[in-house]
Amino acid sequence: MRKMFIDSDSGYMPKNGQIVCGDVFLSEKMKNENRLTAVLSDGLGSGIKANILANMTATMALNFTINDQPVERSAISIRETLPVDPVRKIAFASFTIVDTEFDGQTRIIEYGNPQFLVFRKNKPLELERSFLVDGEVDISDFQACREDRIVLFSDGVSQSGIGRKDMPFGWETKAMTDFISNKITRDPNISAHQLHKCILQQASMNDIQKPKDDITCAVLYFRNPRKLLVCTGPPYDKTNDLNVARKIKNFEGHTVVCGGTTAQIVAREWKEEVVVDMEHFSKDIPPISHIHGVDLVTEGILTLGKAAELLKYGTYEQAEATDPSRLLVDQLLTHDYIEFMVGTKINEAHQDPNLPVELEIRRNVVKKIAYILEKEYLKETELKFI
Amino acid sequence: METKKIQIVICTGTLCHVLGGAELPSLEQHLPDHLKNQVEIKGSPCINHCKNTDMRPPFVEINGEVIEQASITRIREHLEKLTANDSK
Repeated sequence: MRKMFIDSDSGYMPKNGQIVCGDVFLSEKMKNENRLTAVLSDGLGSGIKANILANMTATMALNFTINDQPVERSAISIRETLPVDPVRKIAFASFTIVDTEFDGQTRIIEYGNPQFLVFRKNKPLELERSFLVDGEVDISDFQACREDRIVLFSDGVSQSGIGRKDMPFGWETKAMTDFISNKITRDPNISAHQLHKCILQQASMNDIQKPKDDITCAVLYFRNPRKLLVCTGPPYDKTNDLNVARKIKNFEGHTVVCGGTTAQIVAREWKEEVVVDMEHFSKDIPPISHIHGVDLVTEGILTLGKAAELLKYGTYEQAEATDPSRLLVDQLLTHDYIEFMVGTKINEAHQDPNLPVELEIRRNVVKKIAYILEKEYLKETELKFI
Repeated sequence: METKKIQIVICTGTLCHVLGGAELPSLEQHLPDHLKNQVEIKGSPCINHCKNTDMRPPFVEINGEVIEQASITRIREHLEKLTANDSK
């Protein structure tokens, strides 16, 4: 079975009048274990105190789980560590822990939070729950499939709008489920980012833009990884030219070609034409080109070099939208799995010691980009040299 | 009489770019009107003269003829010469 990719994103809005949110969402991807752990915790009350409580709980839950404590045991430990409010006799923070492997095997532990929702495509999924410790900690185990979504939220979401004439008990699970189903039906590929934004907006709208409680929502979306192929540099052996062209043609996903000579090779093999875009140009980087069938064609080493800088310092949003290196960065960041195919033929003309130092060896620049993408942007990359 | 337009191909390859060709893509803006409507400007990812060590980048081709160390001024001079010959 091909590995799934888990697209996760979360957002929050603090209670009206507060600066910080009393809910916390933390997640950690453990690549070598093929596992993702996420925790949503809601501290009692709102403001700084709630935030600290929630942060403590979420950090404990995450670290227990990462250190392979059985989830049941960590849930109990946290519950016993947390003080109980002397007046209201309820715990100081509630939490939901999601522990999932990339093959979809998922376990969710809940304590005090509103019940999470699971959608299989656009249909809500009913799950069996078992209880631990006097019925307060719920455990559900299930096998997630491609196109499943797990939606976690704090009670600020499910109780938004409470007291309004049309929703006296707030938004409630039933209406929320319909809302999310509708969103997924309308856009079956809706990303975790877009979906959690929609939910947050609706919850805040229910409270007439003045949230009565902290609103937090997180979405985990199991899907096929979005794949990108970046081809740069002519192959060392000329007989591989055809293979490169074929690889791009047959690739399932988007494709980028970086390098003038590489572009010419692809165009020659495909019997297409390379058209240089003379409309947009910047002083520091040569313009992009177009080849029918390739999503982006740029110059090679200068564009890659600048893209590496933009990624390293996270300044890509300040670059102009038509800047070739910005376009390359946009492509890299909107995909999950990036394959680099690097031709290792050395361009003799670039080896003159009088040339600017920006003309680095292609292999090194690509390695640097792949490293940054893995470390800073949690992408998966693969390097192939031909 | 409609005359055939002068074909200009600007190399936008890496080497030409770093060796002074960065401003060449903006050539059209720098041409006077009487030259502007007599030329057709195209770009190329690389016109492959950089492999030849006897020639100095940046390169531009005008009607197939290679101009070494091209600059906007040089291209303009060359175009003036070409159009002057035509009008005789």
